[in-house]
Amino acid sequence: MPIRLLSETVAAQIAAGEVVERPASVVKELIENSLDAGATRIELEISGAGLSSLRCADDGSGIPAAEIELAVQRHATSKISTFDDLMHIQTLGFRGEALASIASVSQMTLITRHVDEKVGVRISLDGGKLVDKQPIGAPPGTSVEVQNLFYNVPARRKFLKSEATESRHINELVMRYAMAYAGVRFALFTDGRETFRTTGRGALGDVIVDSLGLELFRNMVEVVPLERLRPDLAPIRVFGYTSRPSFTRANRSQIMLFVNGRSIVDTRLTYAVVQAYHTLIPQQRYPVSVLMLELPPEEVDVNVHPTKAEVRFRTPDAVFSAVQRTVRQALSDQPNVAEVTTFSGWNAPSATIPEQMGMNISDAGRYPRQTPSQQVWTWDEDDEAFVREIPVGMEAPARPRKLPLMRVVGQIAATYIVAEGPAGMYLVDQHAAHERIMYEEFMAQFNAKDKLIQHTLAATVVHLSPMIARLLEEHLKVMNAIGFVIEPFGKDAFRVEAVPAPLADHNPEDVLNRILQDLESGKEPGADTIEEKIVRRVCKTASVKAGQVLSYDEMVGLLRQLERCENPLTCPHGRPTMIHMSAADLAREFGRT
Amino acid sequence: MRVSVLQENLYKGLSIVNRAVPSRPTLPVLANVLLVTDNQRLKLSATNLELGITCWIGAKVEEEGATTAPSRTLLDLVSNLSPERVDLSLNPRNQVMNLKCGSTTANIKCVDASEYPLVPEADSSRGVAIPADAFKEMVSHVDFAAAKEDNRPVLTGILTRFEEDKVTMASADGFRLSVRHTLLEAPVQERTEIIIPSRTLTEVARIISDNDPHVLISLPEGRNQVMFHLADVDIVSSLIEGVFPEYEAIIPRKHATVTQVYTDELLRACKRSEVFAKDAANAAKIVINPAEAGPGSILVTATSQEKGDNRGLVDASVDGDELEISFNIRYLIDVLSVIKEDQVILETSGSAMPGIVRPVGRDDFLHVIMPMSTGR
Repeated sequence: MPIRLLSETVAAQIAAGEVVERPASVVKELIENSLDAGATRIELEISGAGLSSLRCADDGSGIPAAEIELAVQRHATSKISTFDDLMHIQTLGFRGEALASIASVSQMTLITRHVDEKVGVRISLDGGKLVDKQPIGAPPGTSVEVQNLFYNVPARRKFLKSEATESRHINELVMRYAMAYAGVRFALFTDGRETFRTTGRGALGDVIVDSLGLELFRNMVEVVPLERLRPDLAPIRVFGYTSRPSFTRANRSQIMLFVNGRSIVDTRLTYAVVQAYHTLIPQQRYPVSVLMLELPPEEVDVNVHPTKAEVRFRTPDAVFSAVQRTVRQALSDQPNVAEVTTFSGWNAPSATIPEQMGMNISDAGRYPRQTPSQQVWTWDEDDEAFVREIPVGMEAPARPRKLPLMRVVGQIAATYIVAEGPAGMYLVDQHAAHERIMYEEFMAQFNAKDKLIQHTLAATVVHLSPMIARLLEEHLKVMNAIGFVIEPFGKDAFRVEAVPAPLADHNPEDVLNRILQDLESGKEPGADTIEEKIVRRVCKTASVKAGQVLSYDEMVGLLRQLERCENPLTCPHGRPTMIHMSAADLAREFGRT
Repeated sequence: MRVSVLQENLYKGLSIVNRAVPSRPTLPVLANVLLVTDNQRLKLSATNLELGITCWIGAKVEEEGATTAPSRTLLDLVSNLSPERVDLSLNPRNQVMNLKCGSTTANIKCVDASEYPLVPEADSSRGVAIPADAFKEMVSHVDFAAAKEDNRPVLTGILTRFEEDKVTMASADGFRLSVRHTLLEAPVQERTEIIIPSRTLTEVARIISDNDPHVLISLPEGRNQVMFHLADVDIVSSLIEGVFPEYEAIIPRKHATVTQVYTDELLRACKRSEVFAKDAANAAKIVINPAEAGPGSILVTATSQEKGDNRGLVDASVDGDELEISFNIRYLIDVLSVIKEDQVILETSGSAMPGIVRPVGRDDFLHVIMPMSTGR
């Protein structure tokens, strides 16, 4: 076959393939155009998953009648003019390919009226060819209707997924834009039915309620931007919402990231979010997050991929750590205890349960532990009497209180501490709680290079299996760094001259074996440093065990120490340290309402 | 069985044997105490299969017999009886024991004595005698230093060695060592070493009363047991098998600094530090300071991240170099608490070297504590 220049149509269709691969990409391009035109209201109607028809109407600035034909040409854009502009992109689109690409694979009707013009214009295209153009009365803004998408590219149609899948993609896409542009009213109609609508009031929280549901939103905490650590670096603001550790999903798909209003896919940043939950949630569970990143345009390169789903950062490490730190901070600022969901077979409708239990003399015996005048039952942060800060250390500033004040009631199964707090009953897993305490103490010591070690009486010689011995040799430095004093002592034998003080009560041979077996099996979650792995094992070994009967004072001590922890709600392996049963739940269970 | 005893004797006997009753019995009958008439005495026995205690109390036996009664029930009941004669009579057909004391009567459901395991009795004619007071003091000097955890069984016991005219007890838990010896009333023929569970020794020391001039220790052949014979009480205990660490090598022979201090002053300084040391793995720092002229001092300090800190200065006569050393303060308190002498000597030779505590004026007791240190 001789070489020849491709016809314009074929070239356009090939180019379109890069930009328009499925109906959702059309939606994406159209929404971005609308947003770039300054729309405050965007309405989408799709039918047949966007394949039979897809309409996007906005109230943006519109296209002047004189430029309309140019607008559907390839490489025509009003968004940039020189290469330098590429470096400072403020708009979502800039390539000038979208409309032309869409037009080349569909039958498109475009109605627009520029704000400064009195009359609108309507053009119709078929496979990119102009077939009709006439003036028309229209409100300011642009409305693009795409019909029979991919009618001239049957191959593309074959590769599309089911209608439901394509619809879902569109839905998710609209949702993401709605989150990024909380100030824009979005409405999505699928096959004539309204499936999504936002108010455009500008609050991200509202959009999350609209798109992910109120239930999930209740389980989220707000992520507020942190102060800049390094004023010399470009500012990176991270904000949004992220789920409490008690609320997790089985996959990462609900970690939504936005950079300067652009929804992006970035495995590294997703990992930064997951990393922020390190030790707070179990393995293989992932949070739900909606995070907005704001950084100067010159710090991000969005011109990486035609669909702009991937971006490049000039300082990826700084962005990574900003995301991780901000999310972590938001989590550790948040008091949050896993709620017990009990069976709700009782007839009482939950809405009628009094959340605040004040004095109720006429109904004596209803709440036997009423406290006169003060409504101590609710954990009200504005209450003057509420202890909000706990002083720590001599020089350290007071930290915000992360746990409610708790009164120890007793112990059950020699495993759980029963405690009463302002908001009901708490069950504390003594082992998990102690593990958390030990872990934080240990890490603090470790980081401060101020670990306490206890010398052993007669340097114990331990004999290990050859495999374990190799492991120990490999990690000898780390072991010594965390407070062991171990020296090789012949073949597969080691002299243990000192152990970390918290382990003083344990058989060194036992402890070593257990730590090293963990290293070998590598079953600890996350790709953490070997130090942390070892420290976690140390803490597990040194903690009070389930099945150990604790005295009242020991239990009180444990809770007081837990209160001082950075992340008191989970053990270092991510299991919860306590669960909460509210007074209302108890009342409901007993049918008191 | 029909027998009459005095309430106070019965109560005393029951409270002695009750210490061998397991709180969670592996066999249900072990929660009971065995009552057997024995000439004109009533024999009470209890065992948890490792430790067995038998106690005899004076009684008026009208009809011989035996049974086992729930120990806790009987003890609680008897402790609240008036100090009078208690008449016990057993109906052997339904194993119900009727108890009468003054105006009180009670019926207690018992279990047939044949179901109770055999509790061996000591042969009082053989054995090594140790003066009771010396024995009590010895045990108090060593039992606290034995390991509490079960994962090093040998260290939960107390090494007891009979050699010539001397008995030596040593205990260690990996971080401290206590060694005490005393003279026997008569020399032994052969050197013997056994490891006795520390709990057994503690119980024996507790049971010893003013009526007991000495403790007779015997080792029944081939049974891996030790027996203690007192005037009215026999205690039998299984021994711990294993090899006790060679402790002699651990005891430092040289020391750089010798500090003499009043026991009570140092103890109280340590207890004050413990208030703060509790939060920091019990670590307290001790600064030994020989003064240029006049007596030196020991400074005990502890810091808690959350509670605060404490410094306590104790006058001491210091011979040697200035030294800073950290100890688990609990260990120091433990040993100072059992020293009855006015003054103690602390021998140290470096912040990572063991410290020795011994009472002034005697050489039969010493205690070694391994220091703690921060970082390296």
